[in-house]
Amino acid sequence: MSKIVRSFVFMFAALSLLLAACAAPAAKPAEPAKPAGDTAAVAPTAVGNTVAATDAVVAPTTAAAPAAGATDPMYAPSAVTGDISTAGSSTVFPLSERMAQLFQQEGYAGNITVDSIGTGAGFERFCKTGETDVANASRKIKDAEVANCKALATPREPVAFRVGTDALTVVVSAENDFAKSLTKEQLGKIFTGQITKWNEVDAAYPAETILVYGPGADSGTFDYFNEAVVSLLYLKDGKPDAAAGKAALLGTKGAQFSEDDNVLVKGVEGGKYAIGYFGFAYFNENKGKLKAVAVEGVAPSETTVNDGTYPISRPLFIYSDAKIMKAKPQVAAFIKFYLDNVNANITDVGYFPAPATDMTAAMDAWNAAVSK
Amino acid sequence: MKTETLDLTKKPRLGESVIQALLFLAGILSIFITVAIVYVLGKEAWLFFGNPDVTFAKFFGTATWQPGIGHFGILPLATSTLVTSFIAMLVALPLGLSSALYLSEYATPKQRAILKPILEVLAGIPTVVYGYFALLFMTPLLQSIFGEAVEVYNMASAGIVMGIMILPLISSMSEDALSAVPRSLREAAYAMGATKFETSVQIVLPAALSGIGAAFIIGISRAVGETMIVAIAAGSGPNFTFNPFRAAETMTGHIARISGGDLSYNSIDYNSLFAIALMLFLLTLVLNLVSQAVVSRFREKYE
Repeated sequence: MSKIVRSFVFMFAALSLLLAACAAPAAKPAEPAKPAGDTAAVAPTAVGNTVAATDAVVAPTTAAAPAAGATDPMYAPSAVTGDISTAGSSTVFPLSERMAQLFQQEGYAGNITVDSIGTGAGFERFCKTGETDVANASRKIKDAEVANCKALATPREPVAFRVGTDALTVVVSAENDFAKSLTKEQLGKIFTGQITKWNEVDAAYPAETILVYGPGADSGTFDYFNEAVVSLLYLKDGKPDAAAGKAALLGTKGAQFSEDDNVLVKGVEGGKYAIGYFGFAYFNENKGKLKAVAVEGVAPSETTVNDGTYPISRPLFIYSDAKIMKAKPQVAAFIKFYLDNVNANITDVGYFPAPATDMTAAMDAWNAAVSK
Repeated sequence: MKTETLDLTKKPRLGESVIQALLFLAGILSIFITVAIVYVLGKEAWLFFGNPDVTFAKFFGTATWQPGIGHFGILPLATSTLVTSFIAMLVALPLGLSSALYLSEYATPKQRAILKPILEVLAGIPTVVYGYFALLFMTPLLQSIFGEAVEVYNMASAGIVMGIMILPLISSMSEDALSAVPRSLREAAYAMGATKFETSVQIVLPAALSGIGAAFIIGISRAVGETMIVAIAAGSGPNFTFNPFRAAETMTGHIARISGGDLSYNSIDYNSLFAIALMLFLLTLVLNLVSQAVVSRFREKYE
C-alpha cells in the first residue's frame, strides 16, 4: 500500500458521495415539497391556536348525533380508509376541524389534516401544486385559480359546496368604550390608513393613533373585506377597483397582518385603540375581551345575518373535485358527512347556517360528482 | 552481493486509511454545505434583483416592504432587527459580563458548581417557549410599567427576552476568557495592593478583552438570527420605527410568516424572501469576520 492507493481511496469515496447526492434529487423531485409545506404551515397554526386562552377546537360535547337518513354504507365513516388533506381559509378552519373531529369519532380510521393558511394559499395548494384534496374557502374561487386547476398534470374541476355563512366582524378591545358603530366608508378609510387617529373618525373620540390589525393577502377574509368595503372607495370608471383597494390595504403604515386569526385576536385584545376584522367564530369565542362594532348601525347576530340586514356577511365554502372524490372515497365520505352534519354544529362553532336552498344545491353537487 | 533496500516507511493499514478518508469527508462536508447555501441564496436573490421593478436604490432606500404591491424597501425589516438586537445586547452584555466576572473571580467552587449548570439550563430552553414568555409575561409587565404606550406586539419585550436567551452564551464565553488569564497577573496586582474589585475590573478584564469581544459579537450574531421569539412577540407587519414599544416585524420573523403561507415559485414574493435571507447571511458573515479580527488584534500572549 502506498500513498497512491490512499489518495485513490479518498477520491473514490468523495466521488461516490457526490454521485449519490446528485442522483438522489433526480429520483424524488415531488416528494419533499409536500411534507415541507405541511409542516411549515402547521407550525404557525399550532403556534397561533395556543395563543388564545380558549382554543377554537373545543371538545364537541354538545355535538348533535350524525344525521340519520339514507347513509350509503359505502360512504360511512368507518367504511372508508386512507388520508384526507385539506387546507385553506382560517375562517372555515374551526368549522372544518370540528367536522374532522366528529368524522373521526364516528369511526374513521385515517388522518385528516386541516391547515389554516388563508383561502388564497389553500387554492394555491389545491390548484397550483395539487397537494390537497379539499380547499376551504371564505370566498368564491377566482377565474385565475380555476385556470390553474385546469393546467395541472391531472386537471381538476373545482366543485363548490356551500357549508355556511359568516358575519365578518369588525372588533375593538373590550376597553374601547367609544367606538360603537362605524360606516363602511369610515371602515374603509381606517383600514387603508387614510384616517390614522380616532378623533378623525368622530371628534368626540380620543386623539389616539388607531392600531390596525388585519389578515394578509393570502386570506379570503382580506379579499372579501376588500371587495365589500374598501374597493368601494376606489372607483375606476364608476366600478370598484379591487386592485387599488388591495394596494391601499397592504400599504397601511404600521398595520399588522397575519393569516392566523388568533394572532389578530391577541393583538386587538391587548390594545385599547386597536381595531381588527375576522370571522364571527373568533369573536364569539373571545367575547369577554372583544367588542363587535356595528356596521352601518347593524350589529352581527343570527337575526341580522339571516334576514340580510348585516351588510358584510359572506358564504363559506369547501371545494373539491369529482375525480378526487371518485378516486378517494374517503374524501367523498367526508364531504357527505360535512354537508349532513354542518347545520347541527355550525352555531356552536360560531357561524350561521347557509340558506336551505344552498344546502340542497350542495348536496345535489355531491351526488352529481360521485355519480358522473 | 545482493543488497536489499530496506523500506523504512510506515506500513499503511487499510482500515486507518478508510477512517481517515471518512473523517476528511466529514470535514469538507461543512464547507460543501456552506458553498451550496451561498449558491442557492445567491441564485434566487439574483432572480429578485433581476426583476425590473427592483432597484438597489429602492431596496436600500425606501421604507415600505410590501412586495405584493411593488414596495421593496428593506429598511423597516432592518431597523426592527437592529432595534431588537440592540435591546437584547443591552440586557445580555452587562448581565452576562457581571455573572461571568462573579463566577470566575468571586464564586467559591461550591457556588460555581451550582450556578454554572443553572445558567446552562437557561441556554437549553427552546426559543418558542421564550417567545411565549415574551408575549404572555414580559408584555403585560411592560404594559403595567409604561402603560398604554406599549402595544401587545412590541420590539422591547422580544428584545429583552432575547437578551435573557443570549445571557448564558455571553456568560460562559466571557468566563472562559477570564479564567484563561494567568494567575500571575492577579497575584502581581494583589502584591501591588489592589483590591479584589480593582484587580478584576482593571487588570483581568482588559487582559481577557479579546475573548469578551468575541463573545459579544457571537451574541449579536445570535440575536440577529433569532426567529421564534420575534415571530411570536415582535409583530407581524413591517413597520419603520425606532420606538421599541411599537410592533414591527424583523427580517427573520417576516421570512417565517410568509413561508408559513403558500407562495408560488418564482413569484416576486418568493424571490424577495431569498433576498432578505441573503442580507441576513451577509450580516452574520461580516460579524464573524469582525469577531475574528477583534480576537486576533487584541489577543495577549503570555509566556
